[in-house]
Amino acid sequence: MLDPALLSALADLLPPSAIIATAEGTRPYECDGLPLFREQPLAVLLPEDEAQVVGILRLCHAARLPVVARGAGTGLSGGATPYRKGIVLSLAKFKRILSIDPLSCTAVVQPGVRNLAISEAAAVHRLYYAPDPSSQIACTIGGNVAENSGGVHCLKYGLTVHNVRRVRAVLIDGDVVEFGGEGLDAAGYDLLALINGSEGLLAVITEVTVKLTPNPQQATCVLASFSDAEKAGDAVAAIIGAGIIPAGLEMMDQLTIAAVEPFVHAGYPLDAAAILLCESDGTPDEVTDEVALMRSLLETSGATTIQVSQSEVQRLKFWSGRKAAFPAAGRISPDYYCIDGTIPRRSLAPVLKRIEALSREFGLRCMNVFHAGDGNLHPLILFDANVPDEIARTEAFGARILELCIEVGGTITGEHGVGLEKIDQMCTQFAAAELERFHAIKRAFDAEGLLNPGKAVPLLHRCAEMGRMHVHGGELPYPDLPRF
Amino acid sequence: MDAKTIVRPDPDVVARVVARICGDYGERAVTTRAVREHHSHGEGLADAALPDVVVFPRSNEEVAALVRLCHLSRVPVIAFGVGTSLEGHVAALYGGVCIDLSQMNRVLEINAEDLDCRVQAGVTREQLNAELKGTGLFFPIDPGANATIGGMASTRASGTNAVRYGTMRENVMGLTVVTADGRVVTTGGRARKSSAGYDLTRLFVGAEGTLGVITEIQLRLYGVPEAIASAVCQYPDLAGAVNTVIAAMQTGIPVARIELLDDVQMDACIRYSKLEGYRALPTLFFEFHGTEAGVREQSATMRAISDEFGGSEFQWATLAEDRTRLWKARHAAYYATLALKPGTTALATDACVPISRLADCILETKADIEKSGLTVTIVGHVGDGNFHLVVLYEPGDAGQRERADALARAVSMRAIAMGGTCTGEHGIGWHKLDLLAQEHGEAVDLMRSIKRALDPHGIMNPGKTVPS
Repeated sequence: MLDPALLSALADLLPPSAIIATAEGTRPYECDGLPLFREQPLAVLLPEDEAQVVGILRLCHAARLPVVARGAGTGLSGGATPYRKGIVLSLAKFKRILSIDPLSCTAVVQPGVRNLAISEAAAVHRLYYAPDPSSQIACTIGGNVAENSGGVHCLKYGLTVHNVRRVRAVLIDGDVVEFGGEGLDAAGYDLLALINGSEGLLAVITEVTVKLTPNPQQATCVLASFSDAEKAGDAVAAIIGAGIIPAGLEMMDQLTIAAVEPFVHAGYPLDAAAILLCESDGTPDEVTDEVALMRSLLETSGATTIQVSQSEVQRLKFWSGRKAAFPAAGRISPDYYCIDGTIPRRSLAPVLKRIEALSREFGLRCMNVFHAGDGNLHPLILFDANVPDEIARTEAFGARILELCIEVGGTITGEHGVGLEKIDQMCTQFAAAELERFHAIKRAFDAEGLLNPGKAVPLLHRCAEMGRMHVHGGELPYPDLPRF
Repeated sequence: MDAKTIVRPDPDVVARVVARICGDYGERAVTTRAVREHHSHGEGLADAALPDVVVFPRSNEEVAALVRLCHLSRVPVIAFGVGTSLEGHVAALYGGVCIDLSQMNRVLEINAEDLDCRVQAGVTREQLNAELKGTGLFFPIDPGANATIGGMASTRASGTNAVRYGTMRENVMGLTVVTADGRVVTTGGRARKSSAGYDLTRLFVGAEGTLGVITEIQLRLYGVPEAIASAVCQYPDLAGAVNTVIAAMQTGIPVARIELLDDVQMDACIRYSKLEGYRALPTLFFEFHGTEAGVREQSATMRAISDEFGGSEFQWATLAEDRTRLWKARHAAYYATLALKPGTTALATDACVPISRLADCILETKADIEKSGLTVTIVGHVGDGNFHLVVLYEPGDAGQRERADALARAVSMRAIAMGGTCTGEHGIGWHKLDLLAQEHGEAVDLMRSIKRALDPHGIMNPGKTVPS
């Protein structure tokens, strides 16, 4: 229960409809896109302007009440899972696109605006917002900034951090700050980069200026199939090694093809062990040249068939299967669990083989669909939560995949964030000296640790208790790992 | 880090630290006045603030040991590359130990198949590109000066082709940093993306040595384009040149460089670099990268836009030596301006505005220049909204200096008012400390908190980047 004095102070600040404090009312907020974790908050608040956010945070700060900010709740690592003794601050009512500047190629939007809605609004100016997480029809820009979301186009156009110019946010004590600026660069420390991917631990975002990208004059997608996944992995290396940065470079394995093709009829060859989708965009002549080069590299790498999209309709058709991979998984399995890890591109083929072996070992099917150009894996483990012990086996399988990522020199999350899900693996990836820096930064923003507690950065004693910070002879575990 | 509380450390403490360093490093620790003088300033205004000792470490461990010693004695640490920064970044305002990283100049690895490399901080950009010869790859960021990669990362440098390839912010994948307490930490890495933990890589990039000493950098590389062509186009007025840029950026032409020189700058470059066949008019230098067909296509689109704004015929430089001459002339713009009035001193500004405000900002600034009565050139990487004034003044003439400062301040304030920044690429150093607060307001408090969090004793390049 919320403290009655606090509740009445909130009632002075917000209309009754913006305060949800009943168990039935808060139930829809008990989890995000990672339903394995569920928690009931004390209350859910739905402010509609920045002054209300300031007021709420001041009250929570004074009452030492934890706050979990939430966008659309599509996050996959439990970043928006409520805190049992805290409130959820939903930005769902911050839905306005405030302005679009076609000359500067920027848009100022509120955090609750959906990712795809920005591109739709900018389309009249022949502009779009480049980062395109698969959940783009639902996920919000505030959540994208909090998670530093990626997507198919990020290989060429960068992650959220590369496509956001300015963020306006409220600190836990109610101070309003702006990070970055409308221009291309800003002076001083790069606080804008700190906010991106901070998973709601540093501030509550109330406004975002995004960079828009001119629509390419031409975009063409090449669909290549392979009789074994290893050759597809080699083809990825060959394309990147030739200095080509495709607009998208995605890989899907046989199980994924079999799941999506009957669903969306994208035209994928059902007999292929793996397919690659390679997109080229730019001016027409450039695209023609690049497609010809990619084609020859794919052939040399042993592609069995190659199709080049002949129209925009066909191009979108090719992509429809990739974008529908998650829903397709839902069609062939009662439950699925999406893993997010990144590996050096050259390890693609061996890692796929190992995942296949693990799949047999755990007796669970696993669809592999991923951003091959970035080496960002998204294995989808298919399971049935009603079968005794399948959840436990799924989690164990997932953990083994992440350990595999670290083993080959990768990282435990490419684009979904740490949240609650991977907090323990953070102890494996980072050493104490590095975690201490994270905590120092957190303290500079939120000394009492009220914003999204228990997420993203593990407390040192948690790592120590887990025994994961075993340092032998002064040597770090996995010394060549990317640490931050 | 608070200038009011930071004072020069006790001379006895400094003397002990210097003696210890001289003992440990022998010839690699220097206390002569000439060397300390050389390390007291960059290329901007000379501010006499000498370090007590200059030391040349050769490994991460040596840097860590030096910082640890300074940490224990609370003596300032100033990292130094080659001294090409422009805002007084390396001035030892409170004395202390200057760590010159020029002997850490090895390219540690080149991963051609992954388009990345790892270098020590003292590697210069030209050295890196020389070592990349034969791999088919290059490192594009080009601030003009042959700066070190460590210095470029620390100041978040950009340059003429940032419009296509981004700045150091986009191209540093990871770092090895010696923290303020002398520990070696690694940030980021070779994975193309990671969303684990706060983005410390970008926090250290642009921190100007105030949070730690960068000792190694993982960089993105790019394939050398199949075809490169440069062109020059001249315009009857400044507005035509600027509007060409704005229209080009909106069309999304992937132009690799697009540089504006105003009439005065062009005049200076024609004289200084002996450019033939050009007039002293507002001018754009273009460079296109891509396949043969792509370059043809990009330049045709650019010509069509340029024609609308009264641009001249394009004068092409397709041969490598012609291109080199052209861009050398551009890079020599600062010296060309100085040569307009021998004996004068220059101060440079670094405004950057959203593209939609570029025409307003440049034209209003040009009007200010005409009123000032000073000799001033405008040159800039206008594709990303960034332009510089080079303002000449007689060093002995207080009135001129005052007018020069007022002009520089006006352009910074104008850029900030237009939603831009007072520094697109040179950084804050200590010359622009007061402007940081103008630009960021509340966020400066957070920057201070972060500075305190990562450098509690304020020994890392004190008096820079974040105002007290």
